Amino acid sequence: MFSRLLATLSSALGTPQALRELRWMQAAIDSRASQLSLADMVARRLQHEPLQYILGTQPFGPLNLLVRPPVLIPRPETEHWATVLAESLSPTAQKPISLLDLGTGSGCIPLLLCHLWPPGSVKAHAVDISPHALTLAQDNAALCGIPSQLDGSKKPQNTFTVFNSDFLAEDFPSPALRANSPFDVITSNPPYIPWKEYIELPPSVLDYEDRRALLAGSSGLDFYHAIARLVSHKNLLAPSAIVALEVGHNQACAVETIMRDTGCFRCTEIWTDPWGKQRTIIARK
Amino acid sequence: MDLLFKYSQISEDVSLQDDKVVLRRFKELEPIEDAWNKWLSTRKELDDAIPMLADPDPSMASLADEEVSALTETLSTFLQSTFPSLLLPPSPTAHLSALMELKSGVGGSEASLFLGDLLRMYQRLVNNNTMGMNWTASVVAQNDAEGGGVKDATVEFRGEGAYDALRWESGVHRVQRVPATETAGRTHTSTVAVVVLPLVEESSPHDGEEELFTMDEIKLEVMRSRGAGGQHVNKTESAVRLTHIPTGITVSMQDQRSQHQNRRLAFQVLRSRLLDIKLQREMEARRDTRRSLVKGADRSEKIRTYNYAQGRVTDHRIGLTLKNLHSVLEGDGLHAFIEAVGRSYKEGLLADMLEEKEK
Repeated sequence: MFSRLLATLSSALGTPQALRELRWMQAAIDSRASQLSLADMVARRLQHEPLQYILGTQPFGPLNLLVRPPVLIPRPETEHWATVLAESLSPTAQKPISLLDLGTGSGCIPLLLCHLWPPGSVKAHAVDISPHALTLAQDNAALCGIPSQLDGSKKPQNTFTVFNSDFLAEDFPSPALRANSPFDVITSNPPYIPWKEYIELPPSVLDYEDRRALLAGSSGLDFYHAIARLVSHKNLLAPSAIVALEVGHNQACAVETIMRDTGCFRCTEIWTDPWGKQRTIIARK
Repeated sequence: MDLLFKYSQISEDVSLQDDKVVLRRFKELEPIEDAWNKWLSTRKELDDAIPMLADPDPSMASLADEEVSALTETLSTFLQSTFPSLLLPPSPTAHLSALMELKSGVGGSEASLFLGDLLRMYQRLVNNNTMGMNWTASVVAQNDAEGGGVKDATVEFRGEGAYDALRWESGVHRVQRVPATETAGRTHTSTVAVVVLPLVEESSPHDGEEELFTMDEIKLEVMRSRGAGGQHVNKTESAVRLTHIPTGITVSMQDQRSQHQNRRLAFQVLRSRLLDIKLQREMEARRDTRRSLVKGADRSEKIRTYNYAQGRVTDHRIGLTLKNLHSVLEGDGLHAFIEAVGRSYKEGLLADMLEEKEK
């Protein structure tokens, strides 16, 4: 039975990866984290469904987040830069900061920061166009023990609040969100795949993950232009704010230029991911 | 030596952190004090019994005679074994947990099947609590073989004394049997190499010991290319590789879905390997222990044979053969070997110490 499953999965993934994935599937069954049978899991994997959706979780730094189709699965590149960002800033409960995450998806970026920074040091606000994503992000916040607002106790806590809006819309940000501005940190992993690359994506991405989290017009830069407009016109940035944007494999220079051209920033830098790709634009006011 | 007085001073004189060191020292000295007190009280009983030998009542005299010979017996046991074993310095690694690495050697898929058997044997040793030590065992990395069995594995044994007991398992384990896959009924010989390393906790303070490495000495790499990466790819790739530049030691870890966990485990293995090197070096520096260590130090040496046809297990270092193969593989019979090798090591140490004294 096992050897037949291994043989079929190996033909799709190669033997080393198949062995590992089978062990992770078995571990999810053994720990009762999943009600599925190993055979069901393998059958779904053979249909190119991402392992993360089959198992229902994805580790992200020290967190183990819930994932549900079609909300974008957190990527290791994002995990890396969000961890570096957490280490490069040191907010305290005495000097708390306000954070805005645009297109939050599973909530992975702000929730990791809320987890890594000291209690009471950050109020995180997460925006997404998909109500489904926001439900997932709230479930993840509950899982991580991050409340949506202070519960009145004296104990310092970080908070995580969600807003259902389209940050490309003219009327963004809503008054409710604006009430929490200005922001000391804006983070985003916006859609950045141009449509020519989109149609070439592997089926595990193309057929399963939300197009609205991936596809970004013909250049892949639409959302960066929108974010540039936001930061230059809407007074969203606190005096020494920092903006951190994930970019696609060949977009770093273009996005750095877009952010520089706003004239809002003192300096910009590019962070490289562990696989050697220029992955994150950091702009400092 | 007034240990009680020293003990009463502990809490007043030193900070909590120092307390731990002093308490450990106190615990180590306790057996010596116990033995000495028992020796003194036995001597006293003997002194009291000797005059009774001259008792005019013959039945009393005969009782006294019995008592005197029993007490003399006890005292000579003290002289012959209790005191000499207390002469051995306490093991500096007595508190450490252990990390065991198993790699299949010659014999192809049969070696992988045997590695699976050994893995179960060690897990049972811990789960049956045969050693009475309340250790826990968990597999931190495991590379399954395609044809069944396990190519290599890393197991954590947590608990006091785990390293001191299990380090005697380091070496090449050999199996002689007819593999399940063999149709002609021929006996094959296959091997598995075992290395047992000391396990140190990341968080535990090292009682003033220096750090084993600094982060500047570490190169951390992710493995395999992810193409465009980012949103373009959702394949799980969490493998990491650490290189400790000064020694060239590399540790790869890819068993966990979480890169964070793989990194933590890789650092744990690296720390164990570096501590192992440090301990080996310290042992070699202690000239007097060198002779007895020859038996256990060479990890490429064949230490034990498991012969299925004859149902016997032989430990080549001490020449011990027991017809208890089944019980050994079930974990219960293994402790006889672990204890015998440990005892032999202690006897060797003692012989070396005495030899050193005579020079």
